[in-house]
Amino acid sequence: MKRYDMIIVGAGPAGLSAAVEAAKHGMCVAVFDENAKPGGQLFKQIHKFFGSKEHQAKVRGFRIGEALLKQANELGVEVLLNAVVTGIYADKEVIVRHNDTVRHVKGDTILVATGASENMIAFPGWTLPGVMGAGAAQTMINLHGVLPGKRVLMVGSGNVGLVVSYQLMQCGCELVGIVDVAKKIGGYGVHAAKIARCGVPFYMGHTIVRAEGTDHVTGVVIGEVDEAYQCISGTEKQLDVDTVCIAVGLSPMSQLLDMAGCQMQTVSAKGGTVPVCNADGETSVEGLYVAGDVSGIEEASSAMIEGRIAAISAARKLGYLGEAPASEEISKLQASLEALRQGMFAPGNRGKIIEQTEEGIRISNSLLTKGYLEEQEIERFPGFHTQKGIHPVIECTQNIPCNPCQDVCPRHCIMVGDNITALPVVDENSACSGCGLCVASCSGQAIFLVNDSYDQTHASVTIPYEFLPLPAVGTIGVALDRSGNPVCEAEVLSVKANPAFDKTNLLTMKVPKEMSQKARFFAVKSSEQKG
Amino acid sequence: MKEHENLRVKPIQWHSEPDDDLIICRCEEITKGEIRKAVCDGMVTIKEIRRYLRTGMGLCQGQTCGKLVKGIVAKELGVKPDDLEPATGRAPVRPVEMQVLGKESEE
Ligand SMILES: Cc1cc2nc3c(=O)[nH]c(=O)nc-3n(C[C@H](O)[C@H](O)[C@H](O)COP(=O)(O)OP(=O)(O)OC[C@H]3O[C@@H](n4cnc5c(N)ncnc54)[C@H](O)[C@@H]3O)c2cc1C
Ligand code: SF4
Ligand code: SF4
Repeated sequence: MKRYDMIIVGAGPAGLSAAVEAAKHGMCVAVFDENAKPGGQLFKQIHKFFGSKEHQAKVRGFRIGEALLKQANELGVEVLLNAVVTGIYADKEVIVRHNDTVRHVKGDTILVATGASENMIAFPGWTLPGVMGAGAAQTMINLHGVLPGKRVLMVGSGNVGLVVSYQLMQCGCELVGIVDVAKKIGGYGVHAAKIARCGVPFYMGHTIVRAEGTDHVTGVVIGEVDEAYQCISGTEKQLDVDTVCIAVGLSPMSQLLDMAGCQMQTVSAKGGTVPVCNADGETSVEGLYVAGDVSGIEEASSAMIEGRIAAISAARKLGYLGEAPASEEISKLQASLEALRQGMFAPGNRGKIIEQTEEGIRISNSLLTKGYLEEQEIERFPGFHTQKGIHPVIECTQNIPCNPCQDVCPRHCIMVGDNITALPVVDENSACSGCGLCVASCSGQAIFLVNDSYDQTHASVTIPYEFLPLPAVGTIGVALDRSGNPVCEAEVLSVKANPAFDKTNLLTMKVPKEMSQKARFFAVKSSEQKG
Repeated sequence: MKEHENLRVKPIQWHSEPDDDLIICRCEEITKGEIRKAVCDGMVTIKEIRRYLRTGMGLCQGQTCGKLVKGIVAKELGVKPDDLEPATGRAPVRPVEMQVLGKESEE
């Protein structure tokens, strides 16, 4: 039976990061993944990540994955694909099914990084083709290049629901609406806002009553819910869709750990049943570690750090790394992990109602219920100020761990400070050159450049634009406000696709002066948007 | 678990509900009504339900219906879903054909 210093189950961000770290310290590692491609969820994430530089903020998820994989290959890590780990037994014996054989291998240490599976809800019609997990829809579009349908209803307003909704729209699907039984949007306001300004309605406090159709989805009925989350009769509404995506949370895939004899606990804040583990991710079975979503649903950014911590801890246990350097590395990584776990959306804040920001500013209720800020609300946030000439307007109004806007500005116009969850502040004394780096780097697409004195009667507004085809310069279209309503005619002044912008194009449009704080999106034809 | 032993002595009266024919476990085609009926028949843990009805024992190994079944059973018993012990993790965690299971590699 082949023996390894560390056997890693799952080649997602957690598993791959652990493999790289372990190999760096000279450990002999094997990684098994049941998929045909490595990377786990990370290769489906085509959007820019939040965080700070050390968390690779503003880099698109799949690029982070590619870099990890390259590192793993360079270090000679063995990643076996189409390899399902079907069981973990006593003395760290691991059973792997690869092609049509079963293999037994042994690890001095094991890391389980199997990720999570999507939750479902049952309603009449939920087994019809066309009803699918949002993650599944994301796999279809981003890995296989297949559209799940044309008109989509998203169920769930957390970050997964919001991110996948936006990506479906980028692929050309029409998003008919986002439904959630909760009264408030669960995901980041900046993610919601970029969907709302395309005209997508949020049906908060609503549920899906049934999906209609005989052999596939041909429509859906939604309705408002009462306190017990039951549909209030008379509120039903029929929507014309062919696809229903479900994004109602994930559950850790922790069965292997249970089987291996780890002490388990069910914690709703972690998404389900997870092993009890210490700060290094070591479970109650010595030398058996856990990292990433399987230890509690979080993010790829945190999964990667957890993977590295587990690998360093294992290296110390096996004597590949001394006590002092290992402890030093681990405390550094733990600090970085802690930074990610701050802010309004921190794991510890789940389910809590937060009414004001860390700065003491009232949170926009409109953002939480409709997905966009009201025009008069933006003025109370520090990302807003008026000034002569071109300047940024930052509509980032919740405390999230993120700061690339601060790092990229060559003129130091934007300040987040040492606390990465603080709201970005636009410095009124800095001279913005209009370079647009902040607009393109903002993972939340929440920064706009406004110039109120473009000419006597017009202002220019620069928006991040990630849709194809790019409109040609000179195109006359309509400007949409934050809710997606057309507000005025707009002429495209420029479209910049600089490599430094990494595919977030900068579209500058000319609008009447009084529209400079209203116009936040551009549409070629008004008939394509909601009236 | 003690609590469940108490639940066992308190029989639950069967009554039908309008959505009893809703399929919950897709792999084994088990309906909500069948699961509720199983609770009335005295099955009060997920393990028992699983053995009684085969919920979560099909192709996806409960990945899809696990939480749904738990929710239905908990509601029927009047407890919180998190208070029910999840089904035990057993090998193989993914379905494996018998011919593969019997073919061990020499490596
Ligand atoms: C729509 C969406 C948007 C997201 N956006 C962001 C974001 O902006 N920023 C961010 O940081 N995070 C984001 N995330 C979260 C992030 O993708 C996950 O938290 C992260 O991928 C978890 O990493 P992991 O390594 O724990 O698990 P995964 O990425 O799920 O990888 C687990 C791997 O284990 C394998 N595996 C499982 N069981 C077995 C087995 N028995 N045998 C062999 N292999 C097995 C799987 O095939 C998989 O490859 C998003 C997630 C979704 C769904
Ligand atoms: S446009 Fe350029 S100079 Fe102006 S705030 Fe943004 S990054 Fe700074
Ligand atoms: S404005 Fe800054 S902090 Fe807010 S999402 Fe954009 S880059 Fe992140």
